[in-house]
Amino acid sequence: MRSIVLAGLCSAVLLSGAAYAQSGAPIKIANVAELSGGGATVGNNWKNGIDLAVEEINAKGGILGRKIEVSHADSQSNPGVARAQVQKALDGEPYVLLGPGYSGSVKVTAPLAAEAGITQIMGGEAAELTQAGNKFLFRTSFGQQSSMPKVAKYINDELKAKSVAVVWVNNDFGRGGRDVITKEFNRLGIKVAADLSTEAGQADFAADVSKIKAAAPDAVFIYVNEEESARILKEIKRQGVTAPLIGETTLVGQKVIELAGDAANGARGHVGLTTDAPVEAVKAFRDRFVKKYNYVPDHNGLKGYLAIYMVKATTEKMGKVDSKAFADTLHGLTIKTSTEPNILMDVTFDQNGDIDRQGFLVEVVEGKQVVKQVLPKLN
Amino acid sequence: MSKHNRLLLVALSIIVVAGLIIIPMNFNRYGLYILSQWAVMTIAAMGLNLTLGYAGQVSLAQGAFVGIGAYGAAILTTHGWPLIAALGLVIVICFVVGWLLGYPALRVQHHYLAFVTLAFSTLMFLVFRNESWLTNGIYGISNIPRPEVFGFPTRKPLPFYYLCIGSLGLVTLAMWWLIRSPWGRAFMALRENPIRAQSLGIDTRRYTLMAFAIGSVLGGIAGVLYAPLTQYVDPVPFNLQLSLDLLMMVIVGGSGFMLGPFLGAMIAVLLPEWLRFAEGYYLMLYAAAVIVLLIYSPSGILGILDRYLSSRRTQAASALRAAAQSKLEAAQ
Repeated sequence: MRSIVLAGLCSAVLLSGAAYAQSGAPIKIANVAELSGGGATVGNNWKNGIDLAVEEINAKGGILGRKIEVSHADSQSNPGVARAQVQKALDGEPYVLLGPGYSGSVKVTAPLAAEAGITQIMGGEAAELTQAGNKFLFRTSFGQQSSMPKVAKYINDELKAKSVAVVWVNNDFGRGGRDVITKEFNRLGIKVAADLSTEAGQADFAADVSKIKAAAPDAVFIYVNEEESARILKEIKRQGVTAPLIGETTLVGQKVIELAGDAANGARGHVGLTTDAPVEAVKAFRDRFVKKYNYVPDHNGLKGYLAIYMVKATTEKMGKVDSKAFADTLHGLTIKTSTEPNILMDVTFDQNGDIDRQGFLVEVVEGKQVVKQVLPKLN
Repeated sequence: MSKHNRLLLVALSIIVVAGLIIIPMNFNRYGLYILSQWAVMTIAAMGLNLTLGYAGQVSLAQGAFVGIGAYGAAILTTHGWPLIAALGLVIVICFVVGWLLGYPALRVQHHYLAFVTLAFSTLMFLVFRNESWLTNGIYGISNIPRPEVFGFPTRKPLPFYYLCIGSLGLVTLAMWWLIRSPWGRAFMALRENPIRAQSLGIDTRRYTLMAFAIGSVLGGIAGVLYAPLTQYVDPVPFNLQLSLDLLMMVIVGGSGFMLGPFLGAMIAVLLPEWLRFAEGYYLMLYAAAVIVLLIYSPSGILGILDRYLSSRRTQAASALRAAAQSKLEAAQ
């Protein structure tokens, strides 16, 4: 008798366990990012953005009634380690893979995720990543192949510059941007008057700026990280270079304005995704982030946050948790703020996994970002 | 070593080798990847162990040689060369470059030598990054094919692991032979007392250069395996950090011990993975563990074993002496 009761109990537990697995088990998502090493700022912003989004979604009952569970693994900013960690993550059969942020680490891991048929939502911005025909790879921000032509067009049409000095940071981010924009300049017949490679973490830009001065260009294009942007802006002001200064998110961000002070005034840039974007939802996100972590995130924090909401929107569109159909659903999907407010801006994904979203051209005026032009979504 | 001990050692090595072949059969891809990484790093550390542990020359350039090997394999195999041909060329290049790098070692010693080799390390990093025509610069080289060995493809993780572990086996045998040859004794003489070595007729100049050249070749071999293992190379993994890591592997494992690099690479590659349960703190725990180990035993893990064995030997010897003494006294 006792054994029958016991067996009954056991089967009840097993049955409820099975039922639980079907409806209520957490959705497992794996994140592999640069949590230490040279990319620690990138990776930790990305991770915190993810955690914030997961916390919000779980507080509201999860996706389709299931909670999200994210595991974080550190790639040490090393592609070899990233490969190991992604392999480990894939062996655990996650629903979706997030990261890494460095383009090199994305290149080494993307074939693994594609082979496993798992969708990878990453932070890399190098142009070539989405051009290799990988059907499982998605961006969270503009690739350089879509942001740089907009900047080049602005320099050509609005500034009517005939020669430009290009300053870039010698890593995959800076080099990638420099290569795309130089190609655009060639196409538009703009001369590159000076081509200056700088180091990540460089402190002194006196020599670079004096080269810019000697080249006397019509405009200066600056594509380095935030801290270095502030340093070079100060040096440019000190040496009295008067040519217009154009850049990207990393030239006109809030952090640069804080660090460079007056020297940031007049700097212009294309801004795709930044916590300074003149959009109410983005400002609200920034406040929530600052409340939780006590610092202002850079655009990587935003990218991590959006990655999770991409997962949510895609899953709700499918109406089920299906990792095999995920990539197909996300291709060509438009996520609107009217249905998913936390996607922050309407966004469309194309067949390559590239992103289409509104952008802005801003100028720093008296220590504040002022939007000069809104670059609409293409489709 | 007594006959009994020798048998024990042989049995133990057979068990370890069999374990390395059989146990990973059930490993998942991640486990195999990490073990392959361990084998590759062990080869590189063995090279440095020869230069540093046996010949006593401090080098911070081993990571650069791994880089030369990796880039050599990456560039040549993506242009259709077989990996074995790339290996041959890399061995020649690393031998020549290592030999040339040895020249400063004839003039400067210890930390001055470390600085010279550090400069070489930095120089190589800049070559990998800035000579885009050859190395594709910061973008790196992707889609590096894995080789076929005697007709067997090694594209899958398990066959490639066997390639790595097989290479490690061959290198270990070669090293074992080298250490026990007159060359190995000459290297050690160089480390212990260069002047005495010279007075005994050892050409210290040639052996110093040779130690650098052979050590560098092993770094290159490790690199040749590293490229198809990750199937992507970019300059960042071959910066000074790797040379420092390799130096740590040699010192932590036990510099100048044949098995030191095996344990050192285990600490450097596997320990951080085991500590990952601590999430954000795993690198701190790892660093603390290494510091504690080196405070406890500055001569590394095998230093502990060595101390234990030699104290046992001393005890045994003094016991023999005491017994002999009492016998002598009794006889008187």
